[in-house]
Amino acid sequence: MSTGIRVTADAGRCVVSSLCVYRAPAVFDQDDDGHVTLLDPRPPVEHHEAVWRAARGCPTRAIQVEFEPS
Amino acid sequence: MSSSSTPVSYPFAWDPPLAVPDRWRDLRDRSLVEVQLPSGDTALLVTRYRDVRALFSDRRLSRNTARYPTSRISPNNDLFGDPEIDSDPPRYLDERAIVTRAFSARRLEALRPLVWQVAGELMDAMDAGPRPADLMEAFAFPLPIRIICHMLGVPPGDNDRFRALVDGFMSVTKMSAEDVERCRAGLWSYLDELIEAHRAAPGDDLISELIRVNTTDPNALSDYQLQHWVRTLLIAGYVTTASQIGTSMAVLLNQPHIVEELRQDFSLVPGAVEELLRFQLMGASLGSLRYALADIELSDGAVVPAGSTVMLSVESNMDDTVFENPFELDIRRTENHHMTFGSGIHYCAGAALARMELQVSTEGLLRRYPKLRLAVPKEELARPAGGFLAAFSAVPVDW
Repeated sequence: MSTGIRVTADAGRCVVSSLCVYRAPAVFDQDDDGHVTLLDPRPPVEHHEAVWRAARGCPTRAIQVEFEPS
Repeated sequence: MSSSSTPVSYPFAWDPPLAVPDRWRDLRDRSLVEVQLPSGDTALLVTRYRDVRALFSDRRLSRNTARYPTSRISPNNDLFGDPEIDSDPPRYLDERAIVTRAFSARRLEALRPLVWQVAGELMDAMDAGPRPADLMEAFAFPLPIRIICHMLGVPPGDNDRFRALVDGFMSVTKMSAEDVERCRAGLWSYLDELIEAHRAAPGDDLISELIRVNTTDPNALSDYQLQHWVRTLLIAGYVTTASQIGTSMAVLLNQPHIVEELRQDFSLVPGAVEELLRFQLMGASLGSLRYALADIELSDGAVVPAGSTVMLSVESNMDDTVFENPFELDIRRTENHHMTFGSGIHYCAGAALARMELQVSTEGLLRRYPKLRLAVPKEELARPAGGFLAAFSAVPVDW
């Protein structure tokens, strides 16, 4: 059973759509160039759905989400 | 190629004005549809969401559409096809990164109070002016123009000069070759003057920032590329957003129960803006023109042959394998990864700005005018033919 997720974001693939920042502002932020940064690579469960949505919606698939056994 | 029938004329006719064209409904029966562009040339329209999204990130499709023998959109206007501009990676990504930093959500949020202020001023002017008012001229155009001018460091009054030139620059069949050329040349001179003025007196604005890059490293951004980007930012900064403000307000006002729902809970506005973007009643897929460098197989086995001109359809926003009840405007849709801003590395650089302006416009107008309504029967809303976008030429409103 998996209860945790681990988020990774590849700033090198990021093209600054800003979608993840809108969809999961508690988890994603942007650096001075606008590229994705992670505020919380292991976000609590209440953010999981938004993180999934951000990953699915990322135009360059720069966000990966993996289940992590707790 | 999966299509052997006569190519269908594209863009599809918008009739009646506030409905999705009938052609959009059965479009996905085939994964690839041959269409005839306004130039008379043909292109292959990729219709299904899954393919469209994948192909937006497929480097076998080139965006350098000035390349021979890419099909032309317009019979007498090169539009955005410029052989001296490389719109493919790696060059494109390096240039794009210079501008996108200014358009991140993080930076743009600092501009939100200004957008509200401008919206307020425009509505004050509407209150003081005659009724009914044309929402396009009173609000939809001036709002994004004021904001992009602020960002670029352009005097807002210049719009008297650049709007007509941009209109000609974006003509598909609206103008004669001579008029297109006159507008193109006029826009060129205007931008040259603008850039020279910024060179002489740099400010804290995006044009001055681009000039700094150009001066420091002309290999990163040549004089020509500098002009190209200033033009692109200026045009993209207002034309599409103005069109979307006008059409989306017309769509909303035609569905009073949704307006009422929003008035009860303005936190629904961002979702409504997103859904109105998906609904796309002002655009077509002309902006997604690509050239196939190799054969590309689609998910159903159909093949886009090397050498063909391809469009990635925004009409895939109506793909019912992805969007439930796609022809219904559902402002509470949570999975709304529409293709209106494209996808992949060419994802609209101004999307976050457009979203913010659309959110402020929608909430601002609905808050200020509890009785806002269309002042003409919806059948009378008209789209001028022959432009790159299919916005309404006027949206008369009363309140």
